[in-house]
Amino acid sequence: MDKELEHQFVTNLEKHQNIAHKICRIYTNDKDAHNDLFQEITIQLWKAYPKFRGDSKFSTWMYRVALNTAITLYRKKKRRIRTQDYDTVHFKIKAEEYNDEVEQHLKLMYDAVRQLNDIDKALVFLYLEDKNYAEISDTLGITEVNARVKMNRVKTKLKNLINP
Amino acid sequence: MDDLDLLKEDWKKQEKNLPHLSYDDLYKMIWKKSSSIVKWIFIISILEFFLGAFLNILLADKDYWDNLEKFEIKDFIIGTYIVSYLITFYFIFKFYKNYRRISTTDSASTLMKNILKTRKTVKYYIGYILISTALVTLASFYLMLRHHALTTTSGENMSFDTTQWFIFIGGTLIALAVLLGVVWLIYRVIYGILLKRLLKNYKELKKLEME
Repeated sequence: MDKELEHQFVTNLEKHQNIAHKICRIYTNDKDAHNDLFQEITIQLWKAYPKFRGDSKFSTWMYRVALNTAITLYRKKKRRIRTQDYDTVHFKIKAEEYNDEVEQHLKLMYDAVRQLNDIDKALVFLYLEDKNYAEISDTLGITEVNARVKMNRVKTKLKNLINP
Repeated sequence: MDDLDLLKEDWKKQEKNLPHLSYDDLYKMIWKKSSSIVKWIFIISILEFFLGAFLNILLADKDYWDNLEKFEIKDFIIGTYIVSYLITFYFIFKFYKNYRRISTTDSASTLMKNILKTRKTVKYYIGYILISTALVTLASFYLMLRHHALTTTSGENMSFDTTQWFIFIGGTLIALAVLLGVVWLIYRVIYGILLKRLLKNYKELKKLEME
């Protein structure tokens, strides 16, 4: 692999790394696992990069490879020590932005999302990323109708998780 | 406002709190070793393919061939070797072709389908090994016994009565079944560990289409 390709790839990755970080947020519970999954996503992206033709946007291509890594390729490692949970980090930062009630509700929402299965998480993630149903169905390889039905079910599931 | 839309709003605000890695950090990361299940599937499948061939070579020492000659089933065994190597090569070829098709650029469902297909080739291979081992063992057993019966003069203390035959054949069959059963069980455990999550996700993804 030539230097030019490496440089091009890492530059693109640095610019779009948020996509991978956000996927790690949804699919992992602590910092170590986050870093682990992020690394695997990076490796898989680099392995697939020679086949990236540039006829789609780098970010579009990255969503697909990164999500595939999280859902299918990544093998969770067994951990003995649990490092600091996301929730504490997450909610310390934004305490001043919301009132208590909204904040509490958001915390419940995030907890509920974390309890979903891998496929439902993917749906929620793509929805949060403003992807339309055509893109969601294309990324997951299901029909658009199915994507819509599944999304509705996820919404119901979330509702039930928040108000049991 | 929808709950999910409230979350979406916050999700966007959270973007600034995400970690940010430098160019150098990312550059170092791309050379790290992958630990994806596809890699494990590849390694384990290759091991499984070669375990069969390796056992053949290990067990087939000079004594083994001398014995085969003595019982006049050497030609039969050589014949089965040739056929089994041809079949093994076919499976390896098929496995390689399926493996090459695995691409992270495909949609999630295609990717999962291709991984499962690759693994299925190995499953059939293991099934074939077990069945063919059983058949070859039984056939050579039969040939040996027939040869034995032809060369032993009747009435000697080597001959069995009906009950002894029954115990002898029954015992052999049970031993063979247990041995092959254990191999199958070990295989299923490895298979299960590797693909449990993938199978679950694939079913979840495909659920609606089957309803």
